[in-house]
Amino acid sequence: MEIVTKKHRLIQATRSMNTHVKGKWWKLAGVVLFLYVLIGGMTVPLSPGISSVTPSTAVNGDTVKLNAIGYNTHFLSSTGLGGWLKLDSSHILEATTIKPTSETEAEFTFVLPVSFPDTSRIQPLTLIVDNATDGGFVQPNALFVSFTDIARSGPPWQSEIGKQLHEADALRFPYRNILNETVRNTFFHIALWFAMFLLLLAGLFHAVKYLKTGFPEHDNKSAAYHKVAILFGVLGIVTGSVWAKFTWNTFWTTDVKLNMTAVAMLIYLAYLVLRNAVSDTDKRAKTSAAYSIFAFVALIPLVFVIPRLTDSLHPGNGGNPALGGEDLDNTLRLFFYPSILALTLMGNWMANLLIRYERVKEKIWYHS
Amino acid sequence: MQYVKAFHILQKELAIEFRQKFAVGGVFLFAATIVFLLFKTFNNIQTRDWVLLIWTIMLFSGLNATIKSFLQEKKETWLYYYTLFDPLTLLVSKLIYNTFFLCILFALILCCMTVFSGFPVRDLPLFMLSSFLGILGLAIVFTFVSILAASENGGATLMAILALPLTLPTVLLLIKTTSVSVGLLADSAVYDDVWLLGGINCLLLGTILVLFPFVWRS
Repeated sequence: MEIVTKKHRLIQATRSMNTHVKGKWWKLAGVVLFLYVLIGGMTVPLSPGISSVTPSTAVNGDTVKLNAIGYNTHFLSSTGLGGWLKLDSSHILEATTIKPTSETEAEFTFVLPVSFPDTSRIQPLTLIVDNATDGGFVQPNALFVSFTDIARSGPPWQSEIGKQLHEADALRFPYRNILNETVRNTFFHIALWFAMFLLLLAGLFHAVKYLKTGFPEHDNKSAAYHKVAILFGVLGIVTGSVWAKFTWNTFWTTDVKLNMTAVAMLIYLAYLVLRNAVSDTDKRAKTSAAYSIFAFVALIPLVFVIPRLTDSLHPGNGGNPALGGEDLDNTLRLFFYPSILALTLMGNWMANLLIRYERVKEKIWYHS
Repeated sequence: MQYVKAFHILQKELAIEFRQKFAVGGVFLFAATIVFLLFKTFNNIQTRDWVLLIWTIMLFSGLNATIKSFLQEKKETWLYYYTLFDPLTLLVSKLIYNTFFLCILFALILCCMTVFSGFPVRDLPLFMLSSFLGILGLAIVFTFVSILAASENGGATLMAILALPLTLPTVLLLIKTTSVSVGLLADSAVYDDVWLLGGINCLLLGTILVLFPFVWRS
C-alpha cells in the first residue's frame, strides 16, 4: 500500500514536473538570453579611443605638439605606436615624434604643411593613432587649421599612410566620444522600446479578437499584455532619462520624441484608469478593448510621424543618422538583437503570469 | 445610415440646447469667466500666452460642453435610441452636433479674447483652417470617449481622464500652427502640420466608425 502511494506520488511528481517544463522552454530561453546580454553587455570592453586632444587649433606651417588623452589605450606597453593627421584620403601627414607619457597619454608632434587644397575656410583634421595592441583608431575633427599669408615653410603632404594599420581582433564595443561607456544602454533602452511595441501589438491583437468574438479570455490577455507593455514603457523612459543625463546632461529635454512618448504613456495610463473605473466585467472588457484600439491609432502619429517632421536629438530624426550604419556595429548587434528577443520573451512570461492570476481569481470568485 | 434620421437627431439636439438655455449659457459663462480672470491676472496678455490660453480654454470648456451633452441623456433614452437608429446614424449626428457646438464655442471664446486682449492673428486662412481641423479632432475624441464613459457612474471624471491625453497630439499641433499664424514662429512647412492634423482626424474618425458598433451594444 505504502509502496503504491509512493509510486503514485512519484508519478505525480514527474507529471507535474513535466507540465512545469513542457512548453516553457521559451521562458528559460528568455532568461538565459537576458543573462547573456546582461553579462556580455556589461563586461565586453570598449575599443580604444581618444577622448580629448589639446591644442585644438593651429595655423598652417606650425609645429604642433598634440597632447592626446586616450581611453582604454596602451600607448606605453604596446609596440609600433604611430600617429597621422588626415585631411582627406589623399592628404595625410605623419607625426615626426611621438612621446607616450602613460598608457593613456601621448604627445604627437606634427609639422603642418603650408599648402592646403582649400584655404578659403578653416580645415578640420582627423587624428589617426595606431599601435600593435589596440589597432588603429581615430579622433575626427581633432585639429582645426586656419591660414595665414605670412611666408612659411613646411613639409609636403603624403598621399597615403604608408604602412598597414594594426588590426585588433578582440571583441569590443565601439568607442563614441559623448556616449563612452553608456553605449551599453543600447541593449536596454532601445530594446525595451522594441519589446514594448511587440507587447502592445499582442495586446492590440487580443483587443480586436475580443471585439470580434466576445470571448472574455481575450480581454484578460489583452489587459495583461497592455500592463506589461506599460511597465516596459516606463522602464524605457527611465533608462532613457538616465542616458540623457550622461549624454545630453539633463534628465528631461524638450526633445520631441521624448515628449511624444510621454504623451503616449499618459494615454496608456488612462487605459489602466479605465479598467479600474468600470465595475461591470462585460462592459469593462468592451470599453477597454475599444479604447486600447483607439489609443494605438492615436499613438501612430505621435511616435512615428511627428518626431520625423521636427528636429530631435534622437538618431533617425531631424537629420540625425538612423540607428544602424556606424552607430550600431556588429559587436553591438551581437547583444542588441538577443536583448530584444529576451525582453519580449520575459514580457510574454510576465503577461502569462498576469493572465493566470486573473484566471485563478475568477475561479475563486466563482466557487465562493 | 439614414440621412433623414441623422438630421432629426441633430434637430432634436439643437432644440434641446435652445430650450435648456441654462446649460449652454453655463458653458459659455465658464469660458467668459476664465478669459476675464486671465485678463485680470496677466493685465497685458502677450501673443505667446494668447496662443496658449485660447487652446487651453477651448480644451477644457469643450470637454465640459461635451460631457454635459452626453450626461443629460438618461439610460432609458439610450435604450430608446438603440431601438430606433443604427449606430452609425447616431454617431454621425452626435459628431456633427458636437463639432458644430465646439465651433460656436470657439467663436465665442475668440470674441471674448479679442475684446480683452486683442486679435494677434496675421495669417487668417491658416488660423481658420487649422482651428477647424483641430476642433474636428477634439470633437471626434470627445464624442468617442463620452460614449465609452457615458453610462458609467462618475462618467464625467472618467471622461476627462480618458479624453485629455488623447487630445494632446491634436492640441500640440494646433498650438504650433496657431503660433505660426500669429507670427511667433516662422515655418515654411507649416502646411505639413495642417495636413497632419487632417490625417490624424481621418485616422481617428476611421477608428471610431469601425469601433462604435461594437461599443454601442452595451
